[in-house]
Amino acid sequence: MNLSILTLLLTPFVGGILAYLGGLIHRSVRFAFAFLFSLLTIVLVAGYYGSKIDSLIYGRLFGSLLVLQMNSLSWLLAIVISTIFLMSTLFSIPEMEETPHVNAYYFELFFLEGTMLGVVLAGDLLTFFVFWEMMSWVSYFLVIKGTKESSQAGYKYIIMSLVGADAALIGLTLVYLKTQSFVFVNISSMLSSQSPAFIISVFALFAINFLIKAAIMPLHTWLPDAYSEAPSPVSSILSGVLEKIGVYGLFFFVFVIFGMNLFKGIIPNVFGDSLIFVVLQWMAGLSILFGTFLAILQEDAKRILAYSTIAQVGYIVLGLSLNSTLGVAGGLLQLVNHAIFKSLLFFVVGGIIYRTGTKNLSELGGLIKKMPVSFISMLLGIIALAGIPPLNGFAPKWMIYQALIQKKSVLLLTIALIGGTGSFLYVYRLIHSIFLGTLPEKYDNVKEVPLLMQIPMIFLALLTIIFGLFPGIPLTAIAKVQEFIGMTPIRFTLTGFPQGSALSTLNIVKISGTLVGAFAFAFLLFVSLPKTRRVSQYDNYAAGQVVTKYTKYNYSFGFYSFFRDIMNPIFKLSADEIYTEFTKFMRVLGDHIRRVYTGGLETYVSYIVVIMAVIFAFVVLGGRIW
Amino acid sequence: MVEKILLAVLVPLFAFLVGIFLEGFKRKMVARIQRRYGPPLIQPLLDIIKLLSKKDNISHGLMFDLGPVIALSGSILTVFFIPTPGFKLLSASGDLVALLYIMVIGSLGMALGAGESGNPNASIGIARALTLMLGYDLPFVIALSTVILKFDTTNLYEIVAAQSDLYWGAFLMPITAVVAFIATYGAMGEHPFEVVVAPQEVATGPMVEYGGKHLGFLMIDHAFHIYIELALFTDLFLGGASNLGYFFLKIFGLHILLTFFDTVYPRFRIENAVRFFWRWPTVFALIGLLIVMIGG
Repeated sequence: MNLSILTLLLTPFVGGILAYLGGLIHRSVRFAFAFLFSLLTIVLVAGYYGSKIDSLIYGRLFGSLLVLQMNSLSWLLAIVISTIFLMSTLFSIPEMEETPHVNAYYFELFFLEGTMLGVVLAGDLLTFFVFWEMMSWVSYFLVIKGTKESSQAGYKYIIMSLVGADAALIGLTLVYLKTQSFVFVNISSMLSSQSPAFIISVFALFAINFLIKAAIMPLHTWLPDAYSEAPSPVSSILSGVLEKIGVYGLFFFVFVIFGMNLFKGIIPNVFGDSLIFVVLQWMAGLSILFGTFLAILQEDAKRILAYSTIAQVGYIVLGLSLNSTLGVAGGLLQLVNHAIFKSLLFFVVGGIIYRTGTKNLSELGGLIKKMPVSFISMLLGIIALAGIPPLNGFAPKWMIYQALIQKKSVLLLTIALIGGTGSFLYVYRLIHSIFLGTLPEKYDNVKEVPLLMQIPMIFLALLTIIFGLFPGIPLTAIAKVQEFIGMTPIRFTLTGFPQGSALSTLNIVKISGTLVGAFAFAFLLFVSLPKTRRVSQYDNYAAGQVVTKYTKYNYSFGFYSFFRDIMNPIFKLSADEIYTEFTKFMRVLGDHIRRVYTGGLETYVSYIVVIMAVIFAFVVLGGRIW
Repeated sequence: MVEKILLAVLVPLFAFLVGIFLEGFKRKMVARIQRRYGPPLIQPLLDIIKLLSKKDNISHGLMFDLGPVIALSGSILTVFFIPTPGFKLLSASGDLVALLYIMVIGSLGMALGAGESGNPNASIGIARALTLMLGYDLPFVIALSTVILKFDTTNLYEIVAAQSDLYWGAFLMPITAVVAFIATYGAMGEHPFEVVVAPQEVATGPMVEYGGKHLGFLMIDHAFHIYIELALFTDLFLGGASNLGYFFLKIFGLHILLTFFDTVYPRFRIENAVRFFWRWPTVFALIGLLIVMIGG
């Protein structure tokens, strides 16, 4: 029996326990264990590169086998998860040092990694569900370790997660009752003989769970609060990988367990696409549009990133639900690349909070002179996020646009492109209000973030460049995933796309080479001209007014206030408010129910007596009451 | 190889000269409409030479210096991707979709540079520029989708080739062409969409702190920008051209048309500009799209 998959799965759990125990001795022991075990997890995952399906039967429950399996799709997710966790562990070391429950924090961080790996490595529904539930709870405990408001945000998060989990639990029970098995392989073969109504209701139950985790509109309301109030390393995990687990679940179920052939017979086609995909495409389009527009109006750095996550994950779901070679490859590439650049941005913002103590954009400014490494990291991050070549956000967006053109979905193409334009607005806001503009004098002594925080930033920033110039590197693994789900794999070269792979060819290295050439020319021209003289930041044109540090002159609050005026009629409709109204209704309902369940023992005893009497009468009368 | 290098120098030079000529011509034309004599035709070129040779250049930091440099290099890169008669160096490296993103590189550089000046007028100017961009992009993107749908390719050279023999985009899709013209007009920031520069409100916006060689660079960039916007419209809707002379004449004609509008309009507020773009141009863009979708 090959136990290597079990070893891989247990590594983070062991790491968590050892980090906790080590922390009781000394903090350096805790750091050593934390670092070693996150590195070990990456090494173990990487060892699976290129190998075929590997599975392990580890138990038997309710007459069904319990299975762990590694395939190319779970490998892709696992390598992203373990990489982001290593970076996050490094970043946590300075960030969480002063917090009261630091040992428990590492314990939970590693358990979160373990449960996430468990979800992607699960080969049967029960294992999947158990790890999924643990993942929700552990991430909840991590979220509430953030700011003062984080307990409220975490509450919202766990409630939404539980709604999803309950739906999934019902789905799981239904499947088990019909098929007597939890194993994915058995389920997918047995589902084909079931009635369409059964298949659709089971799928809908699971889909609710996944869409809540992936925060697709209108199920996104937990996300902005949870992401912005959680500790920064946790935010980057939530945004970088936890949300992708939701996307993974959705598409693993659609493509692998249920399978396209199953849907083909029972779901009608709309506009040449299965209805399920059309619905997913438009939900993704909605997420892109409103995630972007809401991100533009935020005044809080982490909330901008949170809303932008909704929009960017919308691109992933859009690409995957196009169900074409190019679209699925684009969606998966966006999945990998979004994990890289969004975690990078959360790390940079986390570093800013670490040094200045605020994430409120109107209190920041001018930090470029104090924190150059953070500035360059964020610059690369926002260029990638906005999808500007030559960084890694460009290739996936280009592929998704091409896939949309192939499908002739012009309206979705328009939405996707407008979402791209909208992202320029919020990323500029982010970098402008933090690093550009005037430096408040209270930050005169701010230093660059410590080295342990710089390492994750630099590493991920380099990845945005490498994966940007050479999209062929991640696409190699993605082509394997496409083979695994039975789809024609994408054709690509190391630097772009050859003839016949899309509507047009693309060579990112040539674009970048030309850009570098043009830049070299412009730069040489610039430096050959007379020298520049540095002036103080208060040496500004102010229409005759003299700018000093007492009469400052900065534009940061309400940066796009005119955009709010334009969008006001639309923003009155808020999904969050609908849920709040629903909560109020439930509270009133609960108030009525409480009159029945008084909580007093004597009432319950009288209920029992009454019910017993009814049952007794029923039995005595031989089942005939009338 | 030598030929390629020569082309790589000559094409940006052509773009620059066209842009700078159109700028000079516009100043003269506006002056004549307003019954003034106007500056000489080469005044913009003289301005650039003057600015580049200034001895004292102030700077607010590294990004402030790099901003104009990135803006210019982004514009030069874009020029290489726009189909110009007799030039096909990078046609295999990118398409219309890539071009939309390549065009942003320069603007991003400029926005970052202007942001570092710390002047609120610059920041407001950039905020307005980006919001306006969101405004005109909606009809523009729909128009581009229509073009892509019509010619069934995203390759710019194939789009130009499909329009030979007077099968121009503007004749095949007149409504879309008008919408795209309005969007291009907005992208160039002419009146009534001149909210970004707006000298009376935000003191030339992003340029407020720039002077000397920095401003000279931005003026060169502006000349490129005029060429890029008009050449793209010419390629998409006016069938490109078989030689540089025709190409120039088409751009020139567009620019004269544009200047007529620019001269007589006042300025929108930014909210109204965006609302304008999201109202009629978008509706007509959708109508144009519907016609192409039904009519093929």
